[in-house]
Amino acid sequence: MGLVEFAAAKTLASSAVFLFITVLLIAAAKRTATCIALFAVQCAVITAQIVAMAFLHRSAEAFAVAAMVLLVKVIAIPYALLRILRRLKVSPAVTASTTPGQSVFIVAALMLLAFAVVQPYARAFALDSEMLAAATAIVLTGGFLMVSRKRALMQVIGLLVLENGIFLAALTTTFGMPFVIEMGIFFDLLVCVLLMGVFVFRIRETFEHVDVSRLRRLRG
Amino acid sequence: MTRALDVLQFLVLVGTAPLLSGIIGQVKARIQNRRGASVLRPYAELWKLFRKEDLIPPTASPLFRLCPVILWAATLAAAAFVPVLDTSSLLGNRGDIILLVYLLALGRFFLVQGAMDGGSSFGGMGASREAMVSTLTEAPLLLGLIAVAIVSHGTSVASIVQWTADRRLFELSSAHAFACVALVMVTIAETGRVPIDNPSTHLELTMIHEAMVLEYSGPSLALIEWASAIKLNLMLALLVALFAPWGIATSVSLPALVIAACAFLLKMTLLAVALAALESSVAKLRMYLVPEYLGMACALSVLAVVFTAFKR
Repeated sequence: MGLVEFAAAKTLASSAVFLFITVLLIAAAKRTATCIALFAVQCAVITAQIVAMAFLHRSAEAFAVAAMVLLVKVIAIPYALLRILRRLKVSPAVTASTTPGQSVFIVAALMLLAFAVVQPYARAFALDSEMLAAATAIVLTGGFLMVSRKRALMQVIGLLVLENGIFLAALTTTFGMPFVIEMGIFFDLLVCVLLMGVFVFRIRETFEHVDVSRLRRLRG
Repeated sequence: MTRALDVLQFLVLVGTAPLLSGIIGQVKARIQNRRGASVLRPYAELWKLFRKEDLIPPTASPLFRLCPVILWAATLAAAAFVPVLDTSSLLGNRGDIILLVYLLALGRFFLVQGAMDGGSSFGGMGASREAMVSTLTEAPLLLGLIAVAIVSHGTSVASIVQWTADRRLFELSSAHAFACVALVMVTIAETGRVPIDNPSTHLELTMIHEAMVLEYSGPSLALIEWASAIKLNLMLALLVALFAPWGIATSVSLPALVIAACAFLLKMTLLAVALAALESSVAKLRMYLVPEYLGMACALSVLAVVFTAFKR
């Protein structure tokens, strides 16, 4: 067994732990910029995982997918989000309805839930239960971020985290979707972030804040 | 031979404690663009304090003199659990991690007693803060250690370290990762480093440890300072032994021991530099945010314990 294959196998085996830790850190982060950076780190872990898979299965398509994840999710989207954040000129704090400590506890509970739920499925289909649990936990955390965070930009991040989870679930269960669909998803995602960016700007222009919990009345 | 080695390890841990504090101080000074005092300054300070007169406040009871001695003794006993060069240690095979945790807690208890006995209001304030922090650190510290113990099927420090040393980094589970992060957070709180307590502050509103030792002087103060240096040293050594023991001597032979000594020195120096960098880049937390911080550590350690059940 060559060194590269060994490293690839080890990357696959240990990436779930890193994903768990990034999810917890996103829940604990106090600044939006930190959340964006952590999102990029999470995507980098996923990239490493796809590259490892590509090595082990000798698939050129998977390399292409990895390159696209790197370009779109690790570089383009965080860059765009940071730009939006800078130009919005709102306070850097993540305003949440739960304190960081509570968020970490809730995310920890979601992880355990994910682990418990995934066990029978993973056993039945002989899948890596830790990876599948990580994917489920990321989906749940994304949903939790969207519910608990008040700023519009954090909800965008929540959605992206959720999408990461779905992507990861597809990757672990069926070794990724067909290449064309994968490409379509990345393109959608990029457009989605840009549109949501524009939307956040519109919210700010109309209401002079981006606090979603205060959007209660219609305004012309 | 192994017995002598165990004693040697213990003496190294106790003897190099002031040196570690000195190194951290030196690195912090360098980061702040100062030249800093010599790394041997803590030894000189201890020597100076041991030769000075021990002043006792008129309101204090005999307990006041006794507390630093008990603190020092309990910390020494705890240090005897931590393996440095090979996997065994002076008490590593006899007592377990739970005894280790509560020896530290015993020392802390008497430090708090002594601080309140001193009669100054700052002592009482520091004591109540210390009591709060220590109640909150106890759960994550114990749970983190228990998670590691469950994974390695043994509660004695020696067996845990032996188990981990036999494995490679990638073979460790997510329980280890969570326990490691939780224990690093707890170590920072437990040893009174920056986000929780500032060891070099003399601002009355924020200090914890410094407020408690305000009434102490001479040999008593020296014992307290030495004990807290040993505690920092032993907590860091424990982290190294539990989560990165590779390089530790699994058999007693000269080359293995030399490698182990070099590996230990390297790891401790790295940790000291990392701690100094952290202390220079992070602001101290408000007192009301400390429960938040330790709550996160607690969540992580609970996760670590539960994840041991899902281990493949």
